[in-house]
Amino acid sequence: MLLGIDVGGTFTDAVVIQGQQIIVQAKVPTSHDNLLEGLLLALDEILRTVKAGQLERVVLSTTLVTNALVQNEIDDVGLIIIPGPGMNVSAMFPKTPITVNGYIDHRGRRAGVLDTQEITKCKQLAEYSIFAVSGKFSVRNPLLEQEVFNMLNDAYHPLHVSLGSQISGRLNFVRRTNSAYFNAAVWHKFNMFAEAITQALAQRDIVAPVYILKADGGTVPLILAKAQPVEAVFTGPAASVLGIMALHHSCGDVISLDIGGTTTDIALWQDGVPLFAERGANIFSYPTAVRAFWLKSVGVGGDSFVRRQNGNLQIGPMRLGPAMALGGENPTVTDALIVAGKANFGHKQLAELAMKRVANTGQSPVDAADEVLASVCRIIVGAINDMITEHISQPVYKVEDIINAVKFDPQLVVGVGGAVKGLAPLVAKEMGIDSFIPTGSMVANAVGAAVARPTIDITLRADTEQGYYSIPELGLRKSISGARFSLASARELAFDCLAAKAQEINIPQTDMEIMYEEEFNVVKEFYTSGKIILCRVQLKSGVLMPVLGKEVW
Amino acid sequence: MRNKLGLVFFPAFDWAITPTHPERQERLLYTRDQIVEEGLLDIPDIIEYRPRLAAISDLERVHIGIPTIKSLITDAHLVSAGGAITAADAVLNQEVKRAFALVRPPGHHAMRMVHGTRGFCTINIEAVMIEYLRKHYGIERVAIVDSDVHHGDGTQDIYYHDPNTLFISFHQDGRTLYPGTGFANELGSPGAWGTTVNIPLPPGTTDDGLHYIYDNLIVRMLEDFKPDIIINSAGQDNHYSDPLASMAITAQGYARLADKLQADIAVLEGGYSIQDALPYINVGIILAMAGMDYSQVVEPDLDRKKLTQSSRITSYIEGLVRNWQEIWTNREKLRQEEIHKSKGLWVQNRSIYYDADGIMEQQRQEVHLCPHCPGYFSVATEANGPNIGYQSAYATVLSALSCPQCRRQAKDQLSANKKTGNYQYYFLQDKQADILERL
Repeated sequence: MLLGIDVGGTFTDAVVIQGQQIIVQAKVPTSHDNLLEGLLLALDEILRTVKAGQLERVVLSTTLVTNALVQNEIDDVGLIIIPGPGMNVSAMFPKTPITVNGYIDHRGRRAGVLDTQEITKCKQLAEYSIFAVSGKFSVRNPLLEQEVFNMLNDAYHPLHVSLGSQISGRLNFVRRTNSAYFNAAVWHKFNMFAEAITQALAQRDIVAPVYILKADGGTVPLILAKAQPVEAVFTGPAASVLGIMALHHSCGDVISLDIGGTTTDIALWQDGVPLFAERGANIFSYPTAVRAFWLKSVGVGGDSFVRRQNGNLQIGPMRLGPAMALGGENPTVTDALIVAGKANFGHKQLAELAMKRVANTGQSPVDAADEVLASVCRIIVGAINDMITEHISQPVYKVEDIINAVKFDPQLVVGVGGAVKGLAPLVAKEMGIDSFIPTGSMVANAVGAAVARPTIDITLRADTEQGYYSIPELGLRKSISGARFSLASARELAFDCLAAKAQEINIPQTDMEIMYEEEFNVVKEFYTSGKIILCRVQLKSGVLMPVLGKEVW
Repeated sequence: MRNKLGLVFFPAFDWAITPTHPERQERLLYTRDQIVEEGLLDIPDIIEYRPRLAAISDLERVHIGIPTIKSLITDAHLVSAGGAITAADAVLNQEVKRAFALVRPPGHHAMRMVHGTRGFCTINIEAVMIEYLRKHYGIERVAIVDSDVHHGDGTQDIYYHDPNTLFISFHQDGRTLYPGTGFANELGSPGAWGTTVNIPLPPGTTDDGLHYIYDNLIVRMLEDFKPDIIINSAGQDNHYSDPLASMAITAQGYARLADKLQADIAVLEGGYSIQDALPYINVGIILAMAGMDYSQVVEPDLDRKKLTQSSRITSYIEGLVRNWQEIWTNREKLRQEEIHKSKGLWVQNRSIYYDADGIMEQQRQEVHLCPHCPGYFSVATEANGPNIGYQSAYATVLSALSCPQCRRQAKDQLSANKKTGNYQYYFLQDKQADILERL
């Protein structure tokens, strides 16, 4: 039995899956002051039906990290950067950094000496117990970051230090720095939570391994998440995408919608696989290296406030309360759905009253409702089309990829969320394609969490001319003997390292895949003197199994 | 102040002339690494564009390929020319203030008449872009500043008879470097005299020398010419570490030039110090064009003490600038003298060598000057090479503004020539009808 708990903005849902079926589910209001309370409430409700010993795995998807960041309940972090020459980055981070001289160049060569005085002499540093350290090209050579790390440990005995190169193995100094900073900022809060949840589960005799859902839809053992809590940001939308994956076997190109109270999250699926944000997610306006699904959020949902201004309908993005049909005071999209006959709950008369309030002179409530829904569709379809345009015009760096350009030809809109039943078919109709709303969509997030696959990814880069390879996520940099090392050897080595890491953290080593690879000859004076090989591999993300969308209340 | 910069980055990771040629897959690998690592593609004011494919008709607005341009190019050429066009569209549609087409393969050695590849270039991507702009946006006056270390002989050839295009090339002296041309006495044919500006520099010229020329000469030329648009052929091989040349310019020198020039569109040309120069120069140019702080973009191995300009070079450059200032001041009078001397016909015979394909071409250009219009010109070509054997062609080029009488005369001359049958191929490149007609 697999248990999934999703702590959402309004509700905390829990489901237990056995043999592709939801066998128990629970829904309680989210306890915003202490997320753990609601979480345990939902868990205890589950445990009334299921025995603790029957659970094989527990996956938590929580807003803890997102909330900590939004509510600024984060630690003050000493941010140390080693930027070397290049763009002026002093104002690019959430926190003014302390800059240390030193440089690693693009080949991972030490090109400037570390100025250690700045670390030992900087009085400011003594004030912090948590640090983030990030150096340019540290993924090519983590040496300088590690030297700073050692110095901090010796001089200040910090609680925690986040290193940019261990947060992400990919190029992008600014993103790694932001990731390391946010990781350090939520580290303490997340670790307190992890501690509490471990205790609470132990008290309930749950011995099943506990996993945390990440923004990329993969799960990691709690113990690993404790080192990299930033990856647990934005798990709500990730759980939703996984829920859709579990409840509906998508093939071909698909658009998925999660239509909630005030927002609609849109994702694109190419050949049945959700697209990722290529470089990483943004946290507030700061670009990070946190892997995440590529989602666009538009400010319309069931509770969006509807009004007419200067003759024009305005929809959202704010919510002033529930639908008038449900006792609210202002017209909402849900009122329009009820009047248009697309939803069947609440007081229809009150919904009609709502539509009268937004109707033009002489316009019937039904016509006004249709106009509202048409506007909502236009907003959502506009955002979908922008995403498709952006996707198919992604820069590519090979002639071949220009000639055989990627196409995106959606055939289906799949929707989940509170207001989806009325809206998804309208969006699909506007686009001239079909729509599908899986049953069980009300607990899609918890289902997604329950069946999410454990994932990890690593980046192997070999530079045979210099005779080394590195895997920054593992803090690894080792020698290789030049001549015979090829892309095939790099792949094999990367898979071996990935399998070893999976074994170490006790997750299955199956379904490894290559995400990206490239191979270049290094030429010196007209002779090939080596190769530069990059190989990024992962344990495949997605769901462990499909789930039949039958709710059990 | 920041400006929105359009960046068309296309490193063509699957294209090379040959695997160990300087124009190989690896050329922009380290530049890609640096740009990505710096986080430049996340800057809201830097918008990355995917290059479109140029059409053959875009190419034939400039080139006459023997036997066809299509037979001489690869898809990569259509992407790099298309990348330059994409950059230009972004600027002219006012999506961005400026744009940088950081693309390969390069183009500035490709001339109008094309038998093959020379100086790593097959088609002239700037010229294809400029003629696209003229056709689609009605741009007239164009200034090109070619900052590649090699003389931009292809661009010079294409615009040698065009008074509306000011072509300024500074480069290492042709007596010491490929292609061996670009001397100060190559000034344009009489009708366009003084709109070709060559500034051959001695090996060892530093940032000081370069900026002395810019501040005391180029800036004034640009002001006087009043271009609708400024294009930078942004070659990067004047760098002190370039393996194919002997100059001493730094990333800062290039970035400051980009900052002063504020070109509307920059297009990458050469530059083969792919590890030690290109990553830094490109980051410098991108930041400067985006109006951002580039002062910290410095090569890790830079040793300014090693890069001091000798007093001999300094005084040589000062003399060169004085000389040019005088020509520039009197250019209108001198142009009239040239027109008068020509008596309506200007002829040039020359040999052109295609290093990549071992082709030797003999070419004769005849420019027919007209008091009422820009006139017309013809190009007669014969080429020999191991892969092509012997091939010959005769082409007549009519400008968009050629008067009816010139048009008639040009066509008569072309058909008379065709009757003799001395050449294998005959072409009419008619800018007014926007076609390359094969007779």
